[in-house]
This record gives sequence, structure tokens and C-alpha cells, in this order.
Amino acid sequence: MNKFSSRVRSALSGLLVPSISIALTLIVASVIVLLLGKNPIEVFLGFLRGSGLVFKPRYAGGQGILTDFFSYLSILTPMIFASLGVMMGMRAGLFNIGVAGQMLLPGFLASVLIGYSDLPSYLAWPIIIIIGLVAGGAMGALIGFLKHRFNIHEVVTSIMLNYIISYVTAFFINTYYADPVTRNSRPVSEASRLLIPGQAGGARFDLPVGLVVALLVIFVMRFLLDRTTVGFRINAVGLNKDCARYAGINVGNNVVLAMAMSGMLAGLAGVTYYLGFANNMVPKELVSLGYDSIAVAVLGNVAPVGCLFASILVTIFQKGSVYMSSNVGVPKDIASVIIGILLMFSASGLYIEETLQRLRRRSRSKQDAKTDPDKAEEERA
Amino acid sequence: MTETIVELRNITKRFPGIVANDDVTLDIRKGEIFALLGENGAGKSTLMSILFGMYEPDEGQIFVRGEEVRLTSSKDAAALNIGMVHQHFKLVSNYTITENIVLGDEPLKRLGPLSWVDLKGASKKIRALSLEYGLEVNPDDKIEDLQVSTQQRVEILKMLYRDAEILIFDEPTSVLTPQEIEYLLEIMEELRRGGKTIILITHKLEEIKRVADRCAILLHGKLVGVYDVATTTTQRMANLMVGKELDTTLDKTEHDFGEVVLDVSDLTVYNEQKVKVVDNVSLRVRQGEILAIAGVSGNGQVDIADAIAGLQHISAGSISLKGEEISRLSIKDRIARGISYIPEDRQKDGLVMDLTLRDNLAIKTFDREPFSKKGVLQPEAFEQQATDLIKRYDIRSGQGSQTTTRSMSGGNQQKAIIAREVELDSDLLIFVQPTRGLDVGAIANIHQQILEQRDKGKAILLVSLELDEVLALADTICVAFRGQILKTDSAKNLSKEEVGQYMMGVTQ
Repeated sequence: MNKFSSRVRSALSGLLVPSISIALTLIVASVIVLLLGKNPIEVFLGFLRGSGLVFKPRYAGGQGILTDFFSYLSILTPMIFASLGVMMGMRAGLFNIGVAGQMLLPGFLASVLIGYSDLPSYLAWPIIIIIGLVAGGAMGALIGFLKHRFNIHEVVTSIMLNYIISYVTAFFINTYYADPVTRNSRPVSEASRLLIPGQAGGARFDLPVGLVVALLVIFVMRFLLDRTTVGFRINAVGLNKDCARYAGINVGNNVVLAMAMSGMLAGLAGVTYYLGFANNMVPKELVSLGYDSIAVAVLGNVAPVGCLFASILVTIFQKGSVYMSSNVGVPKDIASVIIGILLMFSASGLYIEETLQRLRRRSRSKQDAKTDPDKAEEERA
Repeated sequence: MTETIVELRNITKRFPGIVANDDVTLDIRKGEIFALLGENGAGKSTLMSILFGMYEPDEGQIFVRGEEVRLTSSKDAAALNIGMVHQHFKLVSNYTITENIVLGDEPLKRLGPLSWVDLKGASKKIRALSLEYGLEVNPDDKIEDLQVSTQQRVEILKMLYRDAEILIFDEPTSVLTPQEIEYLLEIMEELRRGGKTIILITHKLEEIKRVADRCAILLHGKLVGVYDVATTTTQRMANLMVGKELDTTLDKTEHDFGEVVLDVSDLTVYNEQKVKVVDNVSLRVRQGEILAIAGVSGNGQVDIADAIAGLQHISAGSISLKGEEISRLSIKDRIARGISYIPEDRQKDGLVMDLTLRDNLAIKTFDREPFSKKGVLQPEAFEQQATDLIKRYDIRSGQGSQTTTRSMSGGNQQKAIIAREVELDSDLLIFVQPTRGLDVGAIANIHQQILEQRDKGKAILLVSLELDEVLALADTICVAFRGQILKTDSAKNLSKEEVGQYMMGVTQ
């Protein structure tokens, strides 16, 4: 009983600091919005409405809150995968800044090989997922291998690979797969999209298949990192390479393994983004989601479940920003500003925690001072 | 002479699970060397961090020069002319001495609206200061090119440059060689002559005896008392410090040695800079034998140990364990074959500081049963082992098995490593500097354990810079000098003076 209540308390105190960070972010964001001469409540409602979490005043024909909500979920899915990818690298002490590239290559391959074929969904989906895992994993493993074998910093290799992938895929898109009108790649086939179309209450929507996989992967990652020898090794390598080596853990193998897993997760983010949300590719463009996921992973305290909640939160701002800006009139870039502020406050988590402790101590010592005379008397008696 | 400069009244400081300082009251007089003595984790550093403004006390008052002060940062302390040399230096390694010293308080030269840092003037001032107190440095040298002892002098100069009157030294000698220690103690005396007040945190009794005027002893966060150094014996100080009568004599029984466990022959090792650090070394350790490698720091002793454990590649020679050649095996395989290793740097190599004590105790065995089954960790087994070892090895920590090792005291970190390594039940135990930075009580405990392992028939390779430790424990002594073993002989046949001479490279 006591154990349980202390566990609840520790879980609550774990939530306290992030809640304070979020509250501070909303306050600062409100001030900025006020300075722009707009109503902050309208802005925040705009974000929520755009994400399908609050009813809009009116909907176009065939649309409804579910349309927005499921569209929100289909961009949430790659965000979860991408942030898990960044988290995985960080656990092993590696900074995978190349998630965007590791999304694009698998996305491109899956589009070209499956998206432009006429395979039925039940065949296309598993193959797409496998392509995501294999292509992303291979890129990650390459980065890890270069780090381990030649001591080339993973930030350098992953940024370089980002450029290489983005230009190479752009060449192929422009040459073979471009849509004559938009100059983007042709949209992938309906069947290959990781979506199940549905309809309810007169609104059409698409259920993202990837989300189910994402939720599953979160718990697999959590188990892997907290409860298996594989996770134990990776954590030890990430926290102290020297000690890990001394204890007989093969540091190089674990660096490659962690980067490969990071790449696999990025690959899943890629296929769920390019064949589940965007459904086509813009030549030479790396999606900003790949970079935003770094902030999300940090915000999520570099833990699987944390990444889930951070993704949910950050995606509201990103997904909702278009609707918000067209209806409230605040530029949609405010979303990036808010995410930046959020990241800053969440990076100050330790400071917030210390401040809380200091405040608590102070109030306690004040109380002690008040009760002290009584105590002294008690002791005398 | 008896003017009080610092007064601490009823200072109490709590950390989660631990009372670091419990109602401590002290007064420190102007112009004295005041020593603060206590075991690891007795609260010495915490107390001085409070005086230096790094922590705020939960209760109590601080008076400096008779006035009550509230210190919320080291800036406040600096404003009161209090300076501190930390155990781990706080210097920017690619800056020059001058740049480091002026950092944060740069002297500016102005020309109209323009201003720049007057490094030349600062350099001159530093040179003058260094001459005045006998702290030889060249102000234009870069920190990264300096020896540890010189870096320490820079830290001292940094305080003097800021006109510090009260100088706190946090275990200043733990990183120094005997000659450097002597030199530092002379500097302290020089500073006292210059009217400075010095607070020396240490657990080395000889140093206190040598320079300090008065000495406060802390035990488990409480003040035992303040003693006049001249009239208190070292033995008495040691007893007060550990709180019980201390038996420093080890009882070592004579016995015959068993089979050869470790056989190293013609070992040669080059380090990462391609410098030959171990040169054609051969040695054998038998069951029940303690073989100690004595030597001045940096003569290849640690490299020998690292090579045996597999942390360093060897370029020639062979290493065999119980008759099996192991020099090509991975670190993991060597551990499995029966090598326990207590490394020199416990925080860098011995522990993952941000993991819990429980995880650290299992860091070499987590992938064996019962700690994991088919790759799945078994937290109950981790917990059971931790509870058992904490009890048997008296490892003290704030939150038991769940304590982050970073928050534990150095002595308890070392106890944890020794517990883990001894529990591996290896035939060969390598101890490198096992008592570095520890207090008398912890040292005696560790020595006792080393002897216990010897009596159990384990082969023990001990690398130590402390000659007394070598002489107290070893059955056989090897003296290392410039990567070679100059002399190997039974400990009975060697006097302290002889070993000392070999350490300096003198061969008769």
C-alpha cells in the first residue's frame, strides 16, 4: 500500500515539472500573441480546432471534426516514430540529427517500389513497413559503423547523408516520377497508403494504420530499454563508454546497433509520412518534422512514453497552425516559436525542479520557525 | 592573532536521505591554517561549499569579520575575499594561465569608446604575485601543457589575484606526488606568513601535523571537536576521526603460495601516442600471493594492469591465466576466465555514475543468470544482490540500492566497486590504487579485504603509489621505472629505503 502510494507520488512529481514547463510556455506564448494584438484564447482554440480536438464553427461538405482528428493522428504517427528514433540514438550517447534523411530514403524507395505499383493493401502495407525498417536501419547502421570504425562524428555523417539523399532522390523524382503540374512526385496509389478510409456522421476520414504500429513500438522500446540486456548495454554505453568497455561491453557493436535501431525508427517515420500523410515528395525538400523530432525527444525526457506525450503536444501546434492562422490571422510560424519556447522551458527542467525544492524548503523552515518555540518547550518538559 | 575572521554557527545541511552537516559551530582565526578533518562523506566539503556560497545551509548563520552574511553564490563569497581551490580544477584548458586567471574579472583598458582586455598588465601582476609567494608559473603557458601541480598553482594564483584573504583548499594533495605535496605545504606556510587565512580540507593526518595550527574533526556530519594540532597526537586524531579505536596494524599470516595464476612474460605495450609505456615486463603471481608493483606515478604500472585486463592492446609478449593464453581474448572473455579489476579511476572506469548502485553492482554480470533470463533482466535478482552486498560490505548511500552512484561519497563508491569485483570470485584480482583519496577507516577496511582474498588463495596484483601500502600488504614487490621492472624480490628482503631508491631509478 505504502509502496503503491509512493509510486503514484513519484509518477505525479514526474508530471509536475513538465506541466510547469508547459504552463510557462503558454503564458509566454500568450504574451507574444497579445503583443501581436490578437486574443490568445482564440489562438489556442484555433490550434485545437485545426487538430480536430475542438469543434470548428463550421465544416465544408463531407468534412467534420473526425476528418481533422484523424488527419492529426496521421501526422502524429511519423512524429512519434521520428522522436523515438532520436531518443534511441541519445540513449547510446549519439546525436542522430539526420532523421529527415533517414525518413526520405525509405519513403522514396517505398513510393517508387510499392506506391507506384498496383499491389493490394494487404501486400503493400507489410512490404512498405519492411522497406522502412531495412532502408532506415541500413542508413543508421552506416552512420554507426563510420563512427565506430573511423571515428567520424555521427552529426557530420548524418548531415552529409541528408544532403546526398535529398539531391539523389530529387534527381530521380525530377527525371522519372514528377507530376507535370505540381513538379512534385506523383501521388502514391490509394491502396499503398497506410490509411483505412472511413465515414461517420457525414464526414469522411482516414484511419492511420501506422499509429497502431507506433503505439506497439513505444511499448516494445520501453521494454527493450528498461528490461532487457540489450537496453542495459545501450544505456551503459550512452552514460559512460569507458566504464562500459571496462565491464566487458562491446562499445562499437552497441553504437552500431543503437544507430541502426534509430534509423529503423526514422524509416518507419518516413514511410508513415510519405505514404500515409503527404503521399508525395517535394524534390530537394527534407521534412521539418525530422528536425522537430529532436526537440520532441528532449521534451519527452528521452523516454519512449515521454516521446508519445511530447509528440501529441507538439503536433497540436504544428497541425493546428494552418487553420489557426487563416482564422485568427496570426502567422502560422507562431507554432515554431511556441515549440521553441517549449523546448527552452523543458530544457530548464532541472532548474525548475531545484526552484521548487528551494521554495518547499523555505516554506517548511518558515513553518518550523513558527512551531519551534513550542518544540523547545516540549523538549524542556 | 586571535581575531576571529569566520564564524559558522549551528550550520545544518540536509540532502535527500542524509544529514551532511548537523549543527556545526566553528570559529576560524585570522592568519591560521585551519584543518578540517574527517572521513569521506563526513561533511567537510559540504561545509566549505556552504562557506563558499555553493549551497545555502538549511539552518544556521555565517559570520565573516563579525558581520552576519548570506551567501547565495560564489560571487558573494568572492566579494568577501573568500577563495576556494576545488578538488577538480576549474580551468579552461586551451587558455593561457593569464587568461584563466582574469576570466570573469578582466582588467580593461579604454581608449574612448573602445575597450580591450589588458592581458599584458595582468600577466605582469600575476608574475609579481607568483614571485611573492613562490608559486612558480609562466603566465603565458597554456593550461593543457601544464602538469597537475602547476594547474593547482594557477588555481591558487587565481584566488590571490582576486585578493582572497580566506583560502579554502579542498583535498589539495590527493592529486600530487610526494615532492609536490611538500612544495604545496611550503606554499601554504608562505601564504600564512603573508597574513592569509587557510582552511585545509583533508584526511591525511601527516599534512595536518606538518602545517596546521588547529584542526576541526567531523564525524557523520557532526563536529567532534576542535583540537590544537601541536598537542594532539596523530593516533588520537585518527581515532577521533573514525569515532572508534582504530587498529592500523594488519595481521598478515605467513603461508606458502600455490600454483601460478598469472604469468606475464616479455610484455611490451605502446600507448595511443605510440610511446612505449611497458617495456619487456615479466611477472608471475601465485595463489595466495600479493604481488605489488611500486613506483612513482606514470612509470607504466597502470598500463601493465590495463593490458592484463584487456583494456590496452599489447604489441609483444604473452599473458597467461591459469596456463591459458588470454592476450587475444576480449575483455568480456577475460572477466569470464577469472579476472577482477579495481581500476584506478573509479568514476571514469569503475562506475556508471548516473546509474543506480543496484545496476552498477551488476554491471559485469547482468547478462548472466540469475540477473537475466533469455535477455530479459530480472530486477528482483538485481535487488537481492544489492541488498546483500550493501549489508555485507557496509556500503552507505542515501536511498539504498536505488541511489545514483554519483551522489555517493568516494569511499562508498570504492566499496561498491570492491564488493562487485570480489563477488565475481575470480582467481586473479587486480587492485590499482585501491585506497586513493580514501580516509583512514576506509583504507583499513580495504586492506583487510585484500588480505582476506589473499588468505582465500586468490592471486592479487596490487598497483599502488603509496609506498607504505605496498610495504604493508605485499608478499613480493616489483619496482617499476620507465616501463621496466627494475627489481623483483620478496618483500621481506627489501627495506623502504631500497624500494624508494629503485623507484627513483637508482640501481646498485
